[in-house]
Parts: sequence; C-alpha cells; structure tokens
Amino acid sequence: MNTLSPPQAAHLTDTPDTVKVFVPAAARAAPSSTLGAAAWIRKNMFSSVPSAFLTILGIWVVYTVLNGFIGWAWTNAVWEASSRRDCLDKVGNAGACWPGVVVWIPNLIYGLYPKDEVWRINLAFALLIVWLVPLWLPRVHSKVAIGLSMVLLFPLFASYMFMGGEKGAIWTALIAVGLTGFLWTVLTAVTETLWGVPVLRMVARKFGATTAEAESRIGQVVLLALFGVALFIVFELDFVEVRTRVWGGLFLTMVISGFGIAFSLPAGIVLALGRRSKMPVISLLCTTFIELFRSVPLITILFMFNTMLPLFLPAGVEVNQLLRAIVAVCLFASAYMAEIVRGGLQAIPRGQYEAASAMGLGFWQSTALIIMPQALKIMIPNIVGNFIGLFKDTTLVSIIGLLDLLSMARAVGQDTLWIGLFIEPFFFITVIYFVFCFAMSQYSMNLEKRLNTGHKR
Amino acid sequence: MSAVEKAVRREPVIELIGLNKWFGAFHVLKDVNLRVYEGERIVVCGPSGSGKSTMIRCINQLEVNQEGTVIVGGRSFSKDEKANTEIRRDIGMVFQSFNLFPHLTILENCTFALTWVKQMPKDEAEALAMEFLTRVRIPEQARKYPMQLSGGQQQRVAIARALCMRPKIMLFDEPTASLDPEMINEVLATMIELAESGMTMVVVTHEMGFARKVADRVIFMDQGEIVEEAPPELFFARPQYDRTQLFLSQIL
Repeated sequence: MNTLSPPQAAHLTDTPDTVKVFVPAAARAAPSSTLGAAAWIRKNMFSSVPSAFLTILGIWVVYTVLNGFIGWAWTNAVWEASSRRDCLDKVGNAGACWPGVVVWIPNLIYGLYPKDEVWRINLAFALLIVWLVPLWLPRVHSKVAIGLSMVLLFPLFASYMFMGGEKGAIWTALIAVGLTGFLWTVLTAVTETLWGVPVLRMVARKFGATTAEAESRIGQVVLLALFGVALFIVFELDFVEVRTRVWGGLFLTMVISGFGIAFSLPAGIVLALGRRSKMPVISLLCTTFIELFRSVPLITILFMFNTMLPLFLPAGVEVNQLLRAIVAVCLFASAYMAEIVRGGLQAIPRGQYEAASAMGLGFWQSTALIIMPQALKIMIPNIVGNFIGLFKDTTLVSIIGLLDLLSMARAVGQDTLWIGLFIEPFFFITVIYFVFCFAMSQYSMNLEKRLNTGHKR
Repeated sequence: MSAVEKAVRREPVIELIGLNKWFGAFHVLKDVNLRVYEGERIVVCGPSGSGKSTMIRCINQLEVNQEGTVIVGGRSFSKDEKANTEIRRDIGMVFQSFNLFPHLTILENCTFALTWVKQMPKDEAEALAMEFLTRVRIPEQARKYPMQLSGGQQQRVAIARALCMRPKIMLFDEPTASLDPEMINEVLATMIELAESGMTMVVVTHEMGFARKVADRVIFMDQGEIVEEAPPELFFARPQYDRTQLFLSQIL
C-alpha cells in the first residue's frame, strides 16, 4: 500500500465530469415529549403497569420506614430525664431515650480520659486541622512536603500531647522535630500565600543568598533555628501522664485508624513493588508477608499480638497494649493495601515503562514519576474503600479490652442509671461512623474528578 | 554521497554483532548483524513475527539479547543498568501505541525527561519543547492531555517528545500501524522532514512509499534473520530472494 500518493486517485478518474458536493443535513431539536421533568417521570417511573406498581410500592415502603423512625427518634422521644426508668415511665419503648446518650457524649468521644486534660486532645486535633489547611490553599506550592511532614511528624508531637509524663532527652528532641514541622508548615503556608515563596528561601534571600546552593545552606540554618525554638517550647511543656489504658471512644478509634491509614499506604506501595521485584528473595519475603497477613482474620492477628507477643519477648520487656494493637492493625492493613497497589500497577500498560526507559529514566524515576501517579489515580476508589473498611474494623480492638467507640457505646447500657439503654447509643455511634465514612467516600469521589485527565474518553 | 561511500568513511553509530535472542525456547533473532552509519535511514520490513520489532527494541535494550553485542555511539550495552541508561539517552524511540503519559499535558510530556533527566530549568525546557512541538505542527495543543488528541497528533507529539532529548538516533517501531489511513500521511510527512534534516533513523514499517522515498537501505527480515539488504531502487526492482518477492507481491 502506498499512502504517500493518494490511492483514491485511481478511482477518481472513472467518475463523471461533474462532481457532486456533499452537504451535511442540519441538526433538529429533540421532540419536546422527551424533555423535562414530566417526561422523565413518565419514562422512568410509570412506563408500564409493573413499573408503576413498583414505584408506588417503593414510595409506600420509604414512607412507612421513615414514619416509624421519626416517631421513635423525634415525636415520641424523651429529651429530659435523669434515668432510663424515667424514660420508660414516660413513653415506654415507643420513643427514644436521648438523655442517656447526651450524658455519655464526653465518654463516647474521649473514653475515660481525665476531664481536666481533654483540652490536650482537642488542641492536638486543632493543630492537625491547621496542618491540613494549606493542602487546600491554591497558592501553596509545597503541598507534597507539607502532606509528608504531616503524616511523618504529627504523630511525634501528638503522642506527647496525648500521653504526657516524663520525657527523656531523645523523646524531647523527637517532639521538637514534630513541632518544627508544624512551625515550618504554618510559616511556609503564610509566605507562599502572600509572596509566593517558601519561608526558607525567603529568609535566605533576605540574608543575601543569590545561588541555589547558598539558599539551601542558609535554609538549613533557618530550619535549625526553628528547631531551637521548638526545643525551647517543648522544654517548657509539662503535661500530666495519661495512661493509654484510659484512652477511649472516638479519640481512640481515630488514633488507631489514623496510624493504620497513614502507615498502610506507603507500606503497601513498598510491599507491592517488592512482590513484583525480579530479585527472588525480596519477592518471596514480600509475598509471604502479604499472603500470611491476608489469610488470617484481623481478630486472630490482634489476639496474637496481644497475648502471644509478650511470650516471645524477653522477660521484663513490656510493650504497651495500645501499641501492640496499632502494630497489628498497621501490618494487616498494609498487606491488603499491597494487593490493591499491585492491582493498580498491573493496569498500567508495559508501554509506559518502555517509553520512560527509552527516554533515559531509571527504574525509581519511572516508578515514582510515571507509573505510581497513574496507578494511584486508578486505585483511589479501592484505597479509600480500604481506609473506610479499616476505620470500621478498628471496632475489633474492643475484643482485646481497648475502649474504642463501640465499647463505650456498649458501656452506656451497663451504667446503673441507664441500664439496658443500647439502641440509642448504638444509633448515635452509627451516625458518627456514617459521617466519617461518607466524608471519606465523598472526598475520594472529589479527588477522582479533580485528577481525571481523560483516561476514560 | 551514496550509502556505500558513507560506510567507507564513517564509523557505524549502531552496530549489532551476532545478535541472538530467545523468548523462552523460541529463537526470535538468529545471528543478526547490522551496521548503521551516521545520517543513514534504514527501513526494516518483514512479515509479523519475523523479529523486526524485537531487533529494533534490542538497539536500545528494551529487549535484552542473550548472545551478541549491541554498540551504540561506540559504547556497548552491558549488565550495568546505570551505564545502559546513559546510552539510552542518545536514542529516541517512537512506539506503535504512542505511549504518551496520559496524566501529563502535551507540554509536560515533552519537558518531563528534560527536567528530570537533564535537570534543565523549567522555562528553558518549555521553550525547547515548544520549538519541537512547532516543528511537528501542534504547538496549539500544548496544554491539552494526550487523550484529547487524535492518533496522528499523539504520534507527532511522541516524535517531538523523543526529539526534545536531542537524540543522535531515532528508532520508529511501526509508527503508523495503529493509525487511521487519513492520519498516516501527517505522521509520515513529519518523519520525512526529520529524515531530510539528517537524523539517523531506523524505521520498522510497512509503508513502502516511505521506504522508496526516504530509505538509504531497506532490510527484509523473516524467521528472525536478515534475508535481504539493499538500497530501495534495487530492493523493489530486483529482490534477490523468492521470500522477498513473495512478501512484496503480497503488500504492494
């Protein structure tokens, strides 16, 4: 086939002398009977007798359920009472007894954490939110660095805020590192929003740095000074120790799932790459780890870490029970995440590796810059699905005696004043779980939409 | 200057010596020897499964040969991946399936390797990329994503992307095979311009019109061997082997 000289030329010589001109027909508007709300309802809800029947049945079911629910939760509910006996005397089982839940709200959220120290938790989460805000500010460019610093450094600082107590030299330094990350984030967000330059470079330029090398050298000094300030602040801090045994409620659920979420994604990526590695030892190790943790229920792993781990450790070495649970959850979650990531990696065509390699990129460069961004984008629904599952799975730690949100809800009905009050607190925590999970789900949809660059046509 | 004169005067920029490759037990390349000189345009053709794609992919070691040596620009590929990556930077490649990076814009596709491999400043890289996008006549698409472009446009971007790295050699692996007939010509036109600018090119293709017009030598492969190697005038007018004649009679 010779496409350079048009092959049609041969046929054209046979055509008559006058050539017909092709004029495309004009487009017409769609018939009005197929547009508008009425047409939509007719087409989708009442197109046939069975369809109309199902529509009416559906409306009736929704009405009955909602009516019954509102009657229980609102119309017949009791809002003021001093005990469950009070509630039962007023409405019996026809209405909800909310005062029991209201009284217990602080415990549902903070567990048995001392009331006078609860502000530490609030402050830590407020700092976390401040740390997160720059990620949404359009003018901030160092988003990756800020996100990473948050995931890696926030736990260092938060763990002291939550736990308090004696801090040795090393821990003091680590807490200060966490605080330095926070200070750096806030300053960078401010300078980038106002002047479009990260704080370290700005200060370096103020000191007359002209080359990139001088900038980074002065930047390091500034960072060190920031660390000094943080160290001074941390030195002044003196929090009462709060043992992890009294941590509980939503707070504990968030601590465990927060660690699980933050740890499982990077660990999952490493494991997935390891499993695909051409080096047999690494591949075998990663595969064994993944398959081992995936084939055992989370409860079993929690029990293993809780009761059997101490048997293997040398006498006298004691690992905090919460820490054991967190490690178990992290390992379990990363095994699952590894398989999700591997699935995403497999969806990337070989040609992408080849193109990257042909352009002179090494393995790590092409993996980090070409393959992972595409793979992670495909995997967002699965990753977030896994996070949601993890958030809810943390309820299993109640089995090894940690007082998470579910355990606290169960405790309401064991309170002598509110004995037998189970449905209401469970309904309350259902709402809490729903809010968190739905928010994660919506965020993932939003992220997908924003990152979509037309993989799907 | 004819290809023969070039051969006498210059050192080869690509040299394949005793190349043997197996996919499992299947012997894909059997003792392939090839020399390509600077500025030469080689067209490789042959039936599917003849090993032509594998051979061109051995030139930048996307496929690793078990026996034989591949020398590009005087440096031979070895087990040292770092050194291999260095050699690859002198070789641009264009694929049948374009292989643009779908998560990056057209401009980012072109500047990507410049900034990450050559550490070129962003504005300089963008200026260079725009220069090459203008050369393949799609500067106005620079901010779009690959999936918003037609196949022919994507392939021209792929050519511009490869050229941005200032390669000494360009490899084309069936660049028009997955394009609609109307788009083949725009890609071929770009390739002809590139050939006229003196680029060393190895092109696997079935576009015999392109071979006639541009090639210094046409290579016919079958069953993993180079069967026939001749300037296009000779290759099309008087093929030496019956296998070549059969092939030509089927595709012309």
